[in-house]
Amino acid sequence: MSKKNIIELNQISKNYERKIALSSLSFVVEKGETIALIGPSGAGKTTLLNMLASNFEPSSGEIFIDGRPLSQLTDRKKRAKKIGIIRQQFDLVGQLAVIHNVLAGRLADWGLGKSLLNLFIPQERQAATQALTRVGLPDKMYERTSNLSGGEQQRVALARLLMQKPEIILADEPVASLDPSRAEDILEMLTKIAKEEQQTVIASLHSVEYARKYFSRLIALKNGELFFDLPADQVTNKQLQELYQLKELK
Amino acid sequence: MSMFSFDLHKRKILTVFLLLLFVWSLLGVKWQDGVIHASGVGTASEIFMAMFTPELSANILALAFESSWITLAYATAGMSLALVLGLVFGILASGVLATRKSSRTFLKGSFRGLLGFMRAIHELVWAWLFVASFGLSPYAAIFALAIPYGGILGRIFADMINDVPNEPIQALQAAGASKLQCLFYGYLPSVKNSMISYTMYRYECAIRSSAIMSFVGLGGLGYQIQLSLDDLNYDEVWTFMYFLTIIVVLIDGWSSLLRKRMAK
Amino acid sequence: MKKRKFNFMWFSFYAFLLLIGASWYFVIGVEKASLTELFSNENMEYASKFFKGLLGVGEEEIAFLNQESWSDAFTLSIETLQMSIMAIGFSTIVMFLTVIPAARNVADGSMTLSKKWYRWFVFGLIRISYIFSRAIPELVWAMIVIFIFKPGILPGAIALALHNFGILGKLCAEVIEDTDSRPIRNLASSGANPAQILMYGVFPTVLPKFLTYILYRWEVIMRTTIVVGFVGAGGLGQQFKLSMSFFHYTEITLLLICYLILVFIADYISEKSRYFVK
Repeated sequence: MSKKNIIELNQISKNYERKIALSSLSFVVEKGETIALIGPSGAGKTTLLNMLASNFEPSSGEIFIDGRPLSQLTDRKKRAKKIGIIRQQFDLVGQLAVIHNVLAGRLADWGLGKSLLNLFIPQERQAATQALTRVGLPDKMYERTSNLSGGEQQRVALARLLMQKPEIILADEPVASLDPSRAEDILEMLTKIAKEEQQTVIASLHSVEYARKYFSRLIALKNGELFFDLPADQVTNKQLQELYQLKELK
Repeated sequence: MSMFSFDLHKRKILTVFLLLLFVWSLLGVKWQDGVIHASGVGTASEIFMAMFTPELSANILALAFESSWITLAYATAGMSLALVLGLVFGILASGVLATRKSSRTFLKGSFRGLLGFMRAIHELVWAWLFVASFGLSPYAAIFALAIPYGGILGRIFADMINDVPNEPIQALQAAGASKLQCLFYGYLPSVKNSMISYTMYRYECAIRSSAIMSFVGLGGLGYQIQLSLDDLNYDEVWTFMYFLTIIVVLIDGWSSLLRKRMAK
Repeated sequence: MKKRKFNFMWFSFYAFLLLIGASWYFVIGVEKASLTELFSNENMEYASKFFKGLLGVGEEEIAFLNQESWSDAFTLSIETLQMSIMAIGFSTIVMFLTVIPAARNVADGSMTLSKKWYRWFVFGLIRISYIFSRAIPELVWAMIVIFIFKPGILPGAIALALHNFGILGKLCAEVIEDTDSRPIRNLASSGANPAQILMYGVFPTVLPKFLTYILYRWEVIMRTTIVVGFVGAGGLGQQFKLSMSFFHYTEITLLLICYLILVFIADYISEKSRYFVK
């Protein structure tokens, strides 16, 4: 096992009752890679991301993070330092001011006292301002989060990740409910930040265009199996066509 | 087929059943003996007419203001205590602080049961029990208000917390937040406005409840109404009733103003 | 505009802090209520005697172990139940008679698509009666009603109804105000008269919600029956007061048990029937 491999999947399978969601999936991710998971809906993308996020365990096989089994990474705070998650825009607490949603990325490092004090007197304001500036929202700091548009909310979620500084970012359809220009904005920002912070990204996407444009490697799933796993520039249109093709007529 | 028609008619069945219940309840009254006092009709019209001629002399108005303040003060003190009780028990009864499934079931069950008991007994009965055991003291009224109102606030707060959408909470957990941090950054900010609205609504009810604490011998508007009724002084009764109405309307107006502002 | 909203919230916050502070100051500073005195030895002794009395320690006749007392209490419980049903029945009737003109969208004619000048007048009159009914607690109504009616469950039911029709009316009028006006306009354009509009367009949509509110208020009424009984309006409450004045503490325990059973039954039934209506 090479030191560079930050994620390693070994014969991962997941069954729901009788249905197979993923069957013996194996691949290795190097540090700093940006990976797009593509494939038709129901292919197992979300299942895979959920397992990486430890939301549930694989039925068989094992996941290694930095060479250690994910199942042993049970400490919540340590896990937050390793793995950060961004999903569709429902991840923020709408009633809180933007700055608090950003600073929530620091909760793993803060004790209860500091996190309570922060709600009245924002702590580490400079870092929060910096994070918000990087995502282009320095002036929305004290707005109520629910008043922001969908794209802006997703940027706040990115700013939270900047505070959290995980080594791996899992993104589950991060731009699913955004219009195209906003979506490209967010993806560009996400991959740029990841490059600057030397983070590894695994994102599930429904759009192949975005996947090819912003990510270095594409992993395609179909019916719970690995369909192809290639650098973004080596994926052919024919392969993509086959990936999204409905069941062939007999 | 029969199942389908039952489904279609179940509302009608329920309505008929409820109507029959109402008729049965009417049979509980001994109508044949007469239900109105010999002088009842006269008294009724006297009371009704007094509605238009409330007593407005200076000393009655001063008394009305003083008793209004007593009523308001007991209600506010009781409600502030109820809010603390409701918050603490409500959060515990929601089970969001539990780490394991078994302890969550236990927390939820025991605290919801406790809240149910607190609110099952009417505040005046609590007041009576307190006065009977500890003697006459404003604390009897305050505690008597705080317990049932704490019970109802706690129950509703727990329901609100349980209805908070799961995604933001999961995201906080993924960012490394502990149970308590999730409470202060996720659950409480999400339900804060609904909690304020509901507490305001209950505050209005608490004013009414505070007014009737007089029945265990504690002062306030209810006490004055009782005294005036005993003297058959209906004009004064209406003065105090109008004062009570005004306080309730003011609190109601304030709370609806708050609700509108919060909705924006 | 934003600035003003902010200010009002903070103003309310500080006003409440002030009110709470003043209230506690009044209770502790002016009324000289003392917690330590509350828990003085004398009071504790008194309290323990009272609770022992409730539990029947050292008493010769223990009401809640006596079959005859149980059957008396059962009769009273049935009476109380009747009182609560009668009360919610009366308030429902009054609510139904008044709720339609009390809805804003009926008053301004947008619901029935017919404008009448007197509608606003009737609307105001009913709404004022609602406010008044709601502001006066059941017990005060009971004190007044008992001047007119002979003691029994009828005055209790009337007092409860007097307080509850206002609450029920307000809640139900809001339901009518929130109904979707499109199906109604459709009915009106197809030639239905106001009464037909109500029967076909309004009632079917609002009745389930009405029923929910009626059941909810019934729960509350059940809890309050004991209180109106205190002033002689029948049921468990009247007996409760009598037992209190004769210091028959074990009877009080028995009555409280019956009361709690009734309250929990009401909770249970109202929850189940809400589910049934869905």
